Amino acid sequence: MTDSLFLLVYIFLFPGFAFLILYAWALSFLDRKIAARMQQRVGPPFYQPFADFIKMLAKEVINPRGVDWRLFDAIPLVALAAVMTAFLYIPVTGASPLAFPGDLVVVLYLLSLPAVALFLLGWLSRNIFAAIGGVRAVTMLFIYEVPFFLAALTPALMAGSWSISDIVLWQQKNLWFVFLQPIGFVVALVGLQAKLERTPFDIPEAETEVIAGPWTELTGRRLALMDLCVQVSLVAGSALIVALFLGGPALPWTLSPPWLNALAGFLLFLIKTLAIILILASIRVATGRIRIDQLNDIGWKYLAGAALVQVGIALVINYLWVTP
Amino acid sequence: MTTISTITERLQGFGTAEQVRSNRVRLKTTPDRVRDAITVSQVMLGCDRLVTISALDHGTTFELLYHLIGPHRIIISLSVSLQRDHPSSPTVSDLLPPAGIYERQIHDLFGIMFPGNPDLKKIILNEDWPADEYPLRKDWKPRPESFYGGIKTERL
Amino acid sequence: MAEVVIPIGPQHPALKEPVNFRIIADGEKIVRLELDLSYNHRGIEKAAEQRNFIRVLPLLERVCGICSHSHATNFAKGVEEIMALEIPPRARYIRTIIAELERMHSHLLWLGVAAHEIGFNTLFMWTWRDREAVQDTLEEMSGNRVHYGMNEIGGVRRDLTPAQIQAALSRLPVLEERVRQYRQMVESEETLLMRFRGVGRLSKEEVLKYGAVGPTARASGVDYDVRKDDPYLAYAEVPFNVVTDTSGDVYGRTRVRVGELGESLKIVRYCLEHIPEGPIRADAPHTAPEGETLSRYEAPRGELAHFIRTNGTDKAERIDIRTPTLANWTSVAVCLVNQNLADIPVIVAAIDPCLSCTSRLTVVNRNDGTAGVITFDELRRRRDRQWDRQELR
Repeated sequence: MTDSLFLLVYIFLFPGFAFLILYAWALSFLDRKIAARMQQRVGPPFYQPFADFIKMLAKEVINPRGVDWRLFDAIPLVALAAVMTAFLYIPVTGASPLAFPGDLVVVLYLLSLPAVALFLLGWLSRNIFAAIGGVRAVTMLFIYEVPFFLAALTPALMAGSWSISDIVLWQQKNLWFVFLQPIGFVVALVGLQAKLERTPFDIPEAETEVIAGPWTELTGRRLALMDLCVQVSLVAGSALIVALFLGGPALPWTLSPPWLNALAGFLLFLIKTLAIILILASIRVATGRIRIDQLNDIGWKYLAGAALVQVGIALVINYLWVTP
Repeated sequence: MTTISTITERLQGFGTAEQVRSNRVRLKTTPDRVRDAITVSQVMLGCDRLVTISALDHGTTFELLYHLIGPHRIIISLSVSLQRDHPSSPTVSDLLPPAGIYERQIHDLFGIMFPGNPDLKKIILNEDWPADEYPLRKDWKPRPESFYGGIKTERL
Repeated sequence: MAEVVIPIGPQHPALKEPVNFRIIADGEKIVRLELDLSYNHRGIEKAAEQRNFIRVLPLLERVCGICSHSHATNFAKGVEEIMALEIPPRARYIRTIIAELERMHSHLLWLGVAAHEIGFNTLFMWTWRDREAVQDTLEEMSGNRVHYGMNEIGGVRRDLTPAQIQAALSRLPVLEERVRQYRQMVESEETLLMRFRGVGRLSKEEVLKYGAVGPTARASGVDYDVRKDDPYLAYAEVPFNVVTDTSGDVYGRTRVRVGELGESLKIVRYCLEHIPEGPIRADAPHTAPEGETLSRYEAPRGELAHFIRTNGTDKAERIDIRTPTLANWTSVAVCLVNQNLADIPVIVAAIDPCLSCTSRLTVVNRNDGTAGVITFDELRRRRDRQWDRQELR
């Protein structure tokens, strides 16, 4: 009984959906504030993402003529559900109670659903700009997904398990993967920036070229939900990188009362995800947008190449030192 | 070394040329000789750029001026006089590509035809503009029964 | 994807002013371009024929917001040439100072807009912050941030007090430092180089053949600059260089504009430090003798040509305005073919289009579909009627 009650609290309250949404808004605010201060602007107040969400929910929903509005309503919901579910498998205060061998694959799969959703939205919009944006989103998916998956694979190789919670456990006993696999860390960060479609990779929604890309015909609650989906995937992606490379919510030793351990883990989780946000916001501010064919060059030549090199090094280290 | 006096002399064959400013020569010629004058300016007098084509309405005639310039920094203005009804002048857009846009604009505003221009459709007036009204002519006033573009709505 | 027609404009986030390009694209490559420039046409040339010289100067200023001083000065100096009127040296220097400050604010604006077109919003925010310093100086000197109203036939209308000169000089060192930083940033920022290099290339022959002017032309090695070719105002006495580049692409145009920013700062500093004393206007007659002139001026976007014909009255018989953006459109149409869709805003922004300059609204009485001119009284009556209706609601 208490088990299922605990699961319900875990999924819906903390660190499940309620905490996830609040944290997504908090991180989104921090990202915008950091970017604004770097650009010598004032930036938004702390409640801005929440206010935007409420405002967009209240706006009129416009159905362009000939568009299947039921699909338009469903797709943002599916994308949001996917990333929220993905977050449940990532350790936040300790090992996730829903962990199972292979949940790394499930998380990676769920985190790639928003890009497919954007493509569908663009394609169904009957709008030339949305169609171009949707095609670009899917093209980008093919380019960055391979390096990102490879970079997420190497910690699993060395830890010997496909479960994120086991990877965190391995790092607690040994060393953070950011020291053992620095190339993988960099590739994962760049891949995450591309997955979230932020500058320099915000090609599908390039405002000056395709107006808003696949987002052009989203209005009202659909826009609110899709926006929330992007914010939640920022949290989920950062949490994934923290768990895979930065040791997750674990201290090198276990504290004695379990609640103190959980609290310390949670604080570490917050600090580490904030560090990732700082890095991502700096990248966003310091660069301009590149073209899709240039991304093709960079993605396949440098990112995928570096990721393959990293996999090779990890295999060698594995063979020589880790599994004697 | 092309000086202003050599230019004036060379162009005398096409009409009356005179120096009107320290760096500008004005030549008065006719529509059928203007293309040759431009070719001579480009090839022998070293003009490589068209500054602009100006059009004027003198009441009984139209006047077109082609202004050319080159590295010698001397402007050659070729002036052509056209009659009032059915004014037309051969196009120079194959000799000087920027003339394409200028001729389109002059055609919109004055009604001067440029036979040989490949693309003489509206550029500066909106597409609803009535076909035979040329606003920059001296005798044009907006007519109450014409519709000049925009949106028709009922009086509220 | 098969060939599709993509409408860029008349409303589009990449354009700051309405223009209609219909791009015919094959996937991401552009095949053809059709141009329609009529959205900002206001009939200024016709209106200018009905106003005497005093009233036509404010009208010509409003051809464009960013190059307003260029149009007014060009017309004033053309009419003064027809009248054979020599304006005092202090007036010439003041006109030059305002002209170069205008060039600086226009180029800083352009740098921000070009950065925004490639999504590099940081540079956009920083250049527009520095532009505020220039705008503050202009506001101190003329009372307005655009449309300065400094010119009249025969000189300038307002003098510069020593306090204003000091304030302007004190802002210059900060701007010089920032321009140096921008030059460094433009030459080393990786994504900027990736988006600008090799894009929209025009060779020297193409530039001359298609008649491009201004920084667009100077980036391909063509060194026409009206300030050196046909010196006017104080440019004969002020030492400065014409900035050219040889690459001919958008990157070259960026470097030319940043270089010109540095040159303008030098010119402003020289003029502020060496401004001669004396009167600021000469008595101009009300009418101009019969004559014509082709008055040329180096506006921030290129060579501006006014062809003015007068007929002995106090109105100009014809003012023919050829703006630099109109001259540059043909070259844009040429260099857009076979480029990527993503490069359209970059290439269009590289000529610094000012569509208000290019087209110069007949007023249509929308309510019953008739055309005509609405007088000011009618407008006032209409506004009052609307307010009455709102109160009754």
